[in-house]
Amino acid sequence: MRLASLFLMVFVWLSAGSSAAAELSFDDRSEGPRVAIVGATVHDGTGAVLEDAVVELQGARIVRVGTGAPSAGAKIIDAKGKIVTPGLIAASTTLGLVEIGMEGSTRDTSRNGEDPIRAGYDASMAVNANSTLLAVQAIDGVTTAATTPQGGLLSGQVAWIDLLPGHHRDIVARPRVAVAGGLGQRVAGSRAAAFAQLVEVLDDARFYRSRKSAFDRRASRDLAAHRLDLDALGPVLGRTIPLVLEAHRASDILAAIELAKAQSLRVTIVGATQGWQVADALAEAKIPVIVHPSTNLPGSFDRVGARLDNAAKLHAAGVTVGIAVLGEAHNVRNVTQEAGIAIANGLPREVALRGVTHTIASAYGMEADYGSLAPGKVANVVIWPADPFELSTVPEAVYIRGTSIALRSRQTELRDRYIERLGVR
Amino acid sequence: MTATGVIYERGDVLMRDGKIEAVAAKLDAPAGVSVLDVSGKTVTPGIIDTHSHIGVYASPGWTAHSDGNEMSGPTKPEVRAADGYWPQDPQIDLARAAGVTTMQILPGSANLIGGRSVVVRPVPGARSIDDAKFVGAPSGLKMACGENPKRVYGEKGGPVTRMGNMAGFRTAFQKATEYRRKHEHHRAHADDEDAGPPPERDLGMETLAGVLAGDILVHNHCYRADEMLGMLALADEFGFEIRSFHHAVEAYKIADRLAEAGVSASVWADWWGFKAEAFDTTRANAAILSAAGARAIIHSDSAQGIQRLNQEAAKAKAAGERAGLNISEDEALRWVTANAAWALGIHETTGTLEPGKMADVVVWSGDPLSVYTRTEKVYMEGALVFDRDDPDAHHTDFEVGIPSAAGDVQ
Repeated sequence: MRLASLFLMVFVWLSAGSSAAAELSFDDRSEGPRVAIVGATVHDGTGAVLEDAVVELQGARIVRVGTGAPSAGAKIIDAKGKIVTPGLIAASTTLGLVEIGMEGSTRDTSRNGEDPIRAGYDASMAVNANSTLLAVQAIDGVTTAATTPQGGLLSGQVAWIDLLPGHHRDIVARPRVAVAGGLGQRVAGSRAAAFAQLVEVLDDARFYRSRKSAFDRRASRDLAAHRLDLDALGPVLGRTIPLVLEAHRASDILAAIELAKAQSLRVTIVGATQGWQVADALAEAKIPVIVHPSTNLPGSFDRVGARLDNAAKLHAAGVTVGIAVLGEAHNVRNVTQEAGIAIANGLPREVALRGVTHTIASAYGMEADYGSLAPGKVANVVIWPADPFELSTVPEAVYIRGTSIALRSRQTELRDRYIERLGVR
Repeated sequence: MTATGVIYERGDVLMRDGKIEAVAAKLDAPAGVSVLDVSGKTVTPGIIDTHSHIGVYASPGWTAHSDGNEMSGPTKPEVRAADGYWPQDPQIDLARAAGVTTMQILPGSANLIGGRSVVVRPVPGARSIDDAKFVGAPSGLKMACGENPKRVYGEKGGPVTRMGNMAGFRTAFQKATEYRRKHEHHRAHADDEDAGPPPERDLGMETLAGVLAGDILVHNHCYRADEMLGMLALADEFGFEIRSFHHAVEAYKIADRLAEAGVSASVWADWWGFKAEAFDTTRANAAILSAAGARAIIHSDSAQGIQRLNQEAAKAKAAGERAGLNISEDEALRWVTANAAWALGIHETTGTLEPGKMADVVVWSGDPLSVYTRTEKVYMEGALVFDRDDPDAHHTDFEVGIPSAAGDVQ
């Protein structure tokens, strides 16, 4: 082992204890041979478009995005006439935590039990790099996921993962990038009770944060949550990581806005079915919102008024809008279809692309390393033969941390096994 | 796009008295017929879904709206989805706006035998199932293999295993065979002096006897290849036919056998993994079925999915191409129109754009296989039932008077 990587490992180990490690868990230096993707139309994820561009990768990082001749010695990937985007990011997904939904033995999506305060549940400790779901999403252009616990009032801590099957040691790029939870009728059958408990826990986490030693000496009053849960909320209170809250009813969204203001928190709202009804308030509070564009059913009274143009209306009001297939894992690849549906219902195209890349990264505080094509970002890059959101388009190449992945999954292998057996090709 | 194998790059459709009278590259409009210029748009038959629970699992998903599974016993051939259908379900509007002109409403899959399905039109303004029923469509029977009946009844007296499932089917169809024999015998001898009173009527057995007689079409929720083949053997044993396997996540593994048996498969484009029997999926399922000469259908089982069956077909087509299987646009369209009509036994009257068929027609803003395309006009039997120029013209009673339910808030 080289001294440098030994040093890095020690460093990572040290930083793992701190709540808001800015480092990534893998060797992300720009070393070794360069790869130059040449000639494509590059959509950088922030809204900028470059024609006939050069994107150069080295190690796990992007080292150059621009025009002109590729660097000498770089391995050239001809992408003339193609479209290059950042890898898509799946927000608020259980990817990596579940294999078969109804088989409990394959599911680590939530800390079960009565207690709705589960902020200490750390998804990074449950991510399964052997999950067959990873390749299924990756070969359709999803390179990264905000792996999110579910259930309760505060569900747990979000793990930021790159979809690299078999990377047991470093699939989690950064653990604990956010705390996830939700508003609505989550406690004692009442949204008012839920909100009160959330405020109480945040207050107690703040109290605990400043009096840890007193707590350890048992010289503190009783607190509303377990020590691990209070600890997990520290970086949320310190504004180093966001609190990602699922909320659908307009009143719950307003409550989340109020909470963010009163407690001075960074909040991201997920779901927001009735978001369009309070779009101005969201815009004013500068709270990013991640929606699931196709969900237009009045599935409950909290979701009456669900509409396909929610994303477009939020954007028009000045809200930063992200797009996701929310709350599931097996088909987060359909985020491209969701973006298409949002566009078909009025969301500008570049906003939709930003909504599945840069917006998601920044909603989880990861934009320094993810979500756009720029020097210094992690080299998650997709080459598409045509419009990424069109249903007939599948990626031609997917780079994750600078490596071109095999475009195979358990699903394509089963497919090919039977195509061959039946002799239908 | 006619779903008959013919696509006119520029075509005319003449609709009169609720029927399609002519389809051709160029028609002269007869006197008195109004002309709608849809240059640049695409016209297809109305979308047909073989698998929906709209009306029996209505939105909002209140407990009070749970009318799709009669979970009072695993064998319930006597119940009918028609009796649980709520015509004010707002999901009906959404399906119609998405170009769906026909949908089969099925009981759920908790039971081995879940009851009779009903084929409906998502018509505006229906006040009862009778206003919505597809006139002339045969009855269907819902049956379910695999995990669901096992799970629901595992601690309620069984079935506990797949063995129990199959035993349950056999017991029911054996009883129905005897019921049918008894009634046929009585009918044959009704005029005899000593004929006696007719045997007692049993509504459930009557339904199963209808299956044995071939009058009622079997729609069999079944995921795994081995179970589908087991059901084909069971149907053979009792002398009935299965019209369509539903969900059929592993249909591609037995595409040759399904083609040979003439049984259709209603599949999703890409749902998978929510339970063990849905693990071995491929997005190329429908494409492999088509390539093997079997009748493939894309179904929804979802009030969300039913709103973009065209898109689901597009994904399944793309997956075929990714696997080196060429699927024509017409074939992909048949997955959600003509083939679905066949599974419901209404292929003589709808499912394609052909003279004599019902004028169930959708005008799309563009290619229906594109994610960006939306419906512009939807016709059922020639009547305009959805118009993008006035999308909120028809709402079920549910949306009335709820602030912001359908329109803008102030």
